[in-house]
Amino acid sequence: MSAALEEVLGRARKLIGEWEHEDCGVLAVKDFCRYAASLNDDDYIRRARAQEAAGEPVVAPPLFLAGTLSWQDGPTEDALQRDGLAAREAPCTDGLPVRHVHGGQSVRLGGPVLAGTRVTAERAITSADHRSGRSGEFVLLGITTRFTAQDTAEDTVDGAELMAMDETIVVLDLDLPDAPAEGDPRPAGGAAA
Amino acid sequence: MTAPTTAPIAGQTCPPHTYHHSHLQLFRFSAVSWNSHRIHYDAAFAATEGFPDVVVQSTLHGETLTRHVLDWAGPEAELASVSWRNRATAVAGEQLTWTATVRTVEPCDEGARVTLDAAVLKEDGAPCVTGSVELTWRAARTSP
Repeated sequence: MSAALEEVLGRARKLIGEWEHEDCGVLAVKDFCRYAASLNDDDYIRRARAQEAAGEPVVAPPLFLAGTLSWQDGPTEDALQRDGLAAREAPCTDGLPVRHVHGGQSVRLGGPVLAGTRVTAERAITSADHRSGRSGEFVLLGITTRFTAQDTAEDTVDGAELMAMDETIVVLDLDLPDAPAEGDPRPAGGAAA
Repeated sequence: MTAPTTAPIAGQTCPPHTYHHSHLQLFRFSAVSWNSHRIHYDAAFAATEGFPDVVVQSTLHGETLTRHVLDWAGPEAELASVSWRNRATAVAGEQLTWTATVRTVEPCDEGARVTLDAAVLKEDGAPCVTGSVELTWRAARTSP
C-alpha cells in the first residue's frame, strides 16, 4: 500500500466513532423544487407549490436529504481540494495524492421530511479498511449519517429520526495508468459525493 | 409507466426503462446538491482521472433506481429504504437501462412490504449499479 493510502487509513481509524454534528438549516420548498427540477420532476414541483399555497405540509422528495452532499455555506473556491471537493466531503485525505469514488449507499427513511423543519445531522466514520483488487489497492471508508428533526414544522415530531444513511467512499492513489474498467474493484460508478 | 392496480407478486418483472443523463442534468444536479466534485461537470478534469466524460453522480443513480420503482408502483407505494452499489462508471449521454424484479411481498401493518431487486445496466447489458428498493404498499391510501 502506498504511503498516501497508509496515511488515509491511519487518519480514518483515529476518527472511527467520533460523531460530528451539523446544522442542515431549515428546509424550504424552493430547495425541494430545485432538487426536483434537476431530476426533471415537474409533477413534484406543481404538487408542492399547490400544497404550499393551500397551507398544507410539503414533503421533500424522498431522497432529498441523502442526495444533498453538503449543508455547509461554503467553502469558497480557495479552500477546495484540486478535485473540487471540500475537506469535509473527502475525509482523511487533505493534502494527499489520492482520489475518491463513491462505492454505494444504503438509505433508510424515517418520518416525513417537511418544509419548515430544522434538520441536524450526525455523521461519523464507522469503518476504514485496506482492500486490494485487480486494479490495485485502495482504502474503503464507511460513513454513517443520521438526520433528525429539531424545532420543527407543525406536523413533524421534534427529535424524530428522518433518515439514516450508510455510504462507502473508495480512496485510491492518484496515479492512474489507465481508465477504470467495468467490474473494476475500484468502484468507478458515481464519485465521492 | 402504468402502475399496477393490485399489489405485485414475487418474481414479477417491471417494464425496463431506457434513458440517459445529459451534461446539463449532471451540472444541475451537482449544483443543487452542492457537489463541486469536478469529475461531474469538468470533462477535462474527469479525463485526468481516467474517465471518458463527466461522470454520473452516485446519488443520481440512487435517485434513478428509486424513482423508476416509485413510478412503476404508483401512488399506493411509499419508499421505505434503498441501497445500491456502484459497479461501473456511467458518463453523460451514455445509454442506460433501468430494470427491476419483485423479490418479496410480505404483509405489514400498513398493507404490504414489497422489496425489488433493481439495476442500471450499460448498453452492453453490464451492470452499472445494482441494488434493492423497499416499498410500503398501502392497502388503501387516502392522501398523496
